[in-house]
Amino acid sequence: MSTDTESVALVGDETVENVVRAALFAALTGVFSYVSFQLPVSPVPYTLQVLGVFLAGVFLGPRWGFASLALYVVAGAVGAPVYAYGASGVGQLFSPWGGYLWSYPFAAGLLGSVAHGTGARTPTGEVPLWRLAAGLTAATAVIYAFGTVGYAYFGDLALFADPVRALVSAALVTAVPFVPGELLKAVVAVLAARSERLRDA
Amino acid sequence: MLSHAPGDTLGHRLDPRTKLALQSAVAAVALARPTPAWLVVLTVGCLLALRGCGLSVRAVYAEYRGALPFLLVAPLAGALRFGPPWVDPAGARGPLLAVYRTLLLLALAAAYVRTTSPRESRAAITRLVPGRAGRFLGLGVMLVFRFLPLLQSDLRRLREGSWVRLGDERRVDRRLAHLAVGALERTFRRADALALALRARCLSWNPTPPALAFARRDYAALGAAGALVAAAIAL
Repeated sequence: MSTDTESVALVGDETVENVVRAALFAALTGVFSYVSFQLPVSPVPYTLQVLGVFLAGVFLGPRWGFASLALYVVAGAVGAPVYAYGASGVGQLFSPWGGYLWSYPFAAGLLGSVAHGTGARTPTGEVPLWRLAAGLTAATAVIYAFGTVGYAYFGDLALFADPVRALVSAALVTAVPFVPGELLKAVVAVLAARSERLRDA
Repeated sequence: MLSHAPGDTLGHRLDPRTKLALQSAVAAVALARPTPAWLVVLTVGCLLALRGCGLSVRAVYAEYRGALPFLLVAPLAGALRFGPPWVDPAGARGPLLAVYRTLLLLALAAAYVRTTSPRESRAAITRLVPGRAGRFLGLGVMLVFRFLPLLQSDLRRLREGSWVRLGDERRVDRRLAHLAVGALERTFRRADALALALRARCLSWNPTPPALAFARRDYAALGAAGALVAAAIAL
C-alpha cells in the first residue's frame, strides 16, 4: 500500500458542501424508493424514487444533480439497498427495468440545466414556474425514453427485428401505467420548490 | 434484507475488483449469448459462486421475490401482437430467457453484497475510476451507506407524525408534498452539519486508501472470467 505524504489536496469549502448534498440526495432517493403509494386510477403501486430525481435536479442544479444520481446508481450497484423496493447489485442495471436506473443522472442533469440554466445556480425559490414545468417534462421524457428502450433491449422484445412493436409493447408495460404517478410527483416537486420552509436551500 | 455479513468464505477473500469483473463478464456473456445452452453454463457458474459465498438459492429467492412480478410482465409484452392473432406465444421465448438471465445476474449481485463490505467497495471504486471522479464516488458511496438508515428513520418519523394527526385523510398531493418538504428540511440540516464537520477535519482529495491487493485466487478468478468471455466470442 502506498501512502501519499507529498502534499494534501484539500477539498474546497463550497465543494465539500456540494459533495455532501449530492450524497445525501442520493440517499434520500434511496429512501424514497421504499415509499409507495396508490392512486385510484391505476392498479400499479408507485414508488417515490423519481421524486428524488426531480428534487435533485431542482435543488442541486445540473452538475451536482447529475453527480448525485450517478452516485445513487453506483451505490446501488455496489450493494447499498437503494433501488426500488430496497434492491441492489450490478445485475439490476442489466435487468429489463435497468433502463430507468441509467436514465436518472441524465434526467436530473437535464432538469437542472433547464431550471437553472448553465451558469450559476438560481436560488430554488426564484426559478420561474415555466422553467420548472419545462424541466420536469423533459426529465420525464428522458426517463421514459431510457426506460422503454431499456425494457425492449434488456427484456429481449426483438428490438432490432421489429422496433415499432417492441417499443410500443414496452411502453404499454413500463411507461403508460406510470404517467398519473409521474404527474403527481412533478406537482409535488413544484410545491417543494415553492415551499417557504425551504427558502434558504 | 440482504446485507454484508463478515465471513471467511472464498467469496469474502476475493478482491472486490475481481468480484465486479466476474459479474461484468457474466453480464456481458448473458447479454451477448442469451441461448439456453449458454444460460445452463452460466447457471452452473452462478450456483458455484453462491456456494463459494455461503449463500443458498432460497435466501436469494427470498431477497428478490418482490421483483418477480415486475420481471414476469416481460414475456407477456413479448407475446403481445397488434393485430390478429393478438397473442403469439413464440414471441414470449426471448423475453423469458431475458428474465432468466436477469435472475442469474441478481443472484451474483446478492453474492457480492453478502461478501463485500462498503469499505471494500469504496476502495474498489476509488481504484477503478481514475482521478477525482473516483474519489468523489468512493466518498459519496460511503456517505450513502452511512446516511441511508438515518434518513429512513427521519422519513418514518415524519410519516408516523402525519398518521397520528390523521394526515392520511388529506389529499394525496398535499400528503406527499408535506412528506417531501419535511424530508428535504431534514436532509439539508444533516448535510449542513456534516459539511461543517468534514471541513473542520480538513477533507482531502487524497486520503490514504484502504489496502487492496490481488492474490493468486484473484488471478485464477480473473482468468476464468476472461476465458468465459473469450469462449462466448469464439463459439
